[in-house]
Amino acid sequence: MVQIAVKIPNAEGTCKEWAMIELQGELETRHPVPLSGKLIGDLHFTHSDVPVLIIGHHILYGKVLQLEKPFAVLTKDFKHDEPMEQDHQQNATHRQTEYHVNAIIKKKILFKTRPKPIIANVPKKL
Amino acid sequence: MAGEMDTVDSSIKTSPKRSQEDVNTVLKYAKLETSDVRPCVQTIFFSENLENDTVKLLELDATVLDALQAGDRVTLRGDKDDHAVLCTKNQTFDMKDAELSNSMLLLRHLDYGPDLPDSGPQEMRKREVFSVVHEYYELRPVKPKLRVLRQMLNENQYSGRECEEDDQHTGKKYTMSDFLNVVQASEEEIVAGLKRLKALEIEGKWRVLDFDFMSTVMSNIVHLAEERDWISTGVALHECLEVLQDLFLREVIIHVLKYYSIQTSDTNEDSDVYLFDEDKVCQFYAEVCLRNSGKFNLSEFLQVWDESVPMGMKTSLTQIQGMALVDRDSNPETISFFPADNLPEDVSGRFDYLFDTRKKWTLDEISPYVSDLTTPKMDVGALLTKYSRASVQNGIKVFSSRRTIS
Repeated sequence: MVQIAVKIPNAEGTCKEWAMIELQGELETRHPVPLSGKLIGDLHFTHSDVPVLIIGHHILYGKVLQLEKPFAVLTKDFKHDEPMEQDHQQNATHRQTEYHVNAIIKKKILFKTRPKPIIANVPKKL
Repeated sequence: MAGEMDTVDSSIKTSPKRSQEDVNTVLKYAKLETSDVRPCVQTIFFSENLENDTVKLLELDATVLDALQAGDRVTLRGDKDDHAVLCTKNQTFDMKDAELSNSMLLLRHLDYGPDLPDSGPQEMRKREVFSVVHEYYELRPVKPKLRVLRQMLNENQYSGRECEEDDQHTGKKYTMSDFLNVVQASEEEIVAGLKRLKALEIEGKWRVLDFDFMSTVMSNIVHLAEERDWISTGVALHECLEVLQDLFLREVIIHVLKYYSIQTSDTNEDSDVYLFDEDKVCQFYAEVCLRNSGKFNLSEFLQVWDESVPMGMKTSLTQIQGMALVDRDSNPETISFFPADNLPEDVSGRFDYLFDTRKKWTLDEISPYVSDLTTPKMDVGALLTKYSRASVQNGIKVFSSRRTIS
């Protein structure tokens, strides 16, 4: 059986807290280009702490939610120990794999409403 | 699909630098005044290096989060069919893949309303989304699947040191770490399972005693107890060991004696006197009678059983509920060996098996065969409601299969 340890690296009980923005549907560009490095939008907060996200031609009003069950952000990691059992190569390789909890996500900003269009014409300058 | 959104039209080059002026222009188009929002805007970008495939989200139960934060051992255990469970040191969780049509954008840094100044000069903070995910793992607490533990232990039962080298004892013997490698259960659950299966550690390997061998050990202990008049006062362990240790390993004698004795809260490790548990001892003698005999005439059995138990002990059919079945409908009435262990572990499989064995069960009869399936949310009554059909027969409530007989 494959056994993989899940741990907070250098766990001293504390773990970084990361964030999540949840959007309805998919983020797409008009043309299929890689998303890397692209602007998604501007996130504002009103004075009463309502998150407002402006994406392209759309405006979304959201909500900050405390997650009832937080998420752990896991990445696979490889331990560089000497394999314990040289004769079980397969086994030894598995043993080196670990999942690291890089951070915990305790709240998310949820934008669940259908986005409202805001601009008829995109100014050339933008 | 509803809710699909465009990012900024890709035909227009998005400058990696976004100015306050850009932000304000967009705000204006959105018909918002800069005074409507806090002066600090967070501009959200996709990272240059999106890590969509390397990041997994795991939804955490409070107990799992506590275990992780305490630095306790938390392990994923996959089996050959690629079904994985997650184990803390005392709990097992099924891992289920949950998919969302929503997009979850993950960020390493983000400020929320109350973190941001209410007034002051306009400010921009650049935030990066390093991953977009659409699925996460859910955890659901489950009962550990310990059946495989029994199978492993049965590969090489212990029948005494003189038999260790013979042909019947060439099967594999296992250590705790072997179990941890094979059984999809947490360490504490495995330890509890070993206890329930009456396993003991002999020379570093976990073993169960072959029943015939165990009966020999038990008979020797009981004979000695009768001889020394210990039945009512308790077995003196050290004296018992002195007499029997030439025949059996000390740990085997202690194991058997402890199992058939009353476990009181003040029984500590060094305690020297063990008082027999009457019910367990009677159960043992019933098993000796029934184990290899198929169906037994009930009245004959009751007589043989009563004669076999140590003097002063009383037998009762309630002692062997969950071990044997009485058939009141046959003539003469019979009893047969039907142990509750080794039944199918999944709930509906268990009920199918039970109703195949016998069509109608009373509550008392069926309870010992399903009690291990109960959860804090579902007791025996609730299980029966869900998986069986109740009817009344001769004024007694009986349970039968929900399946229609074809």
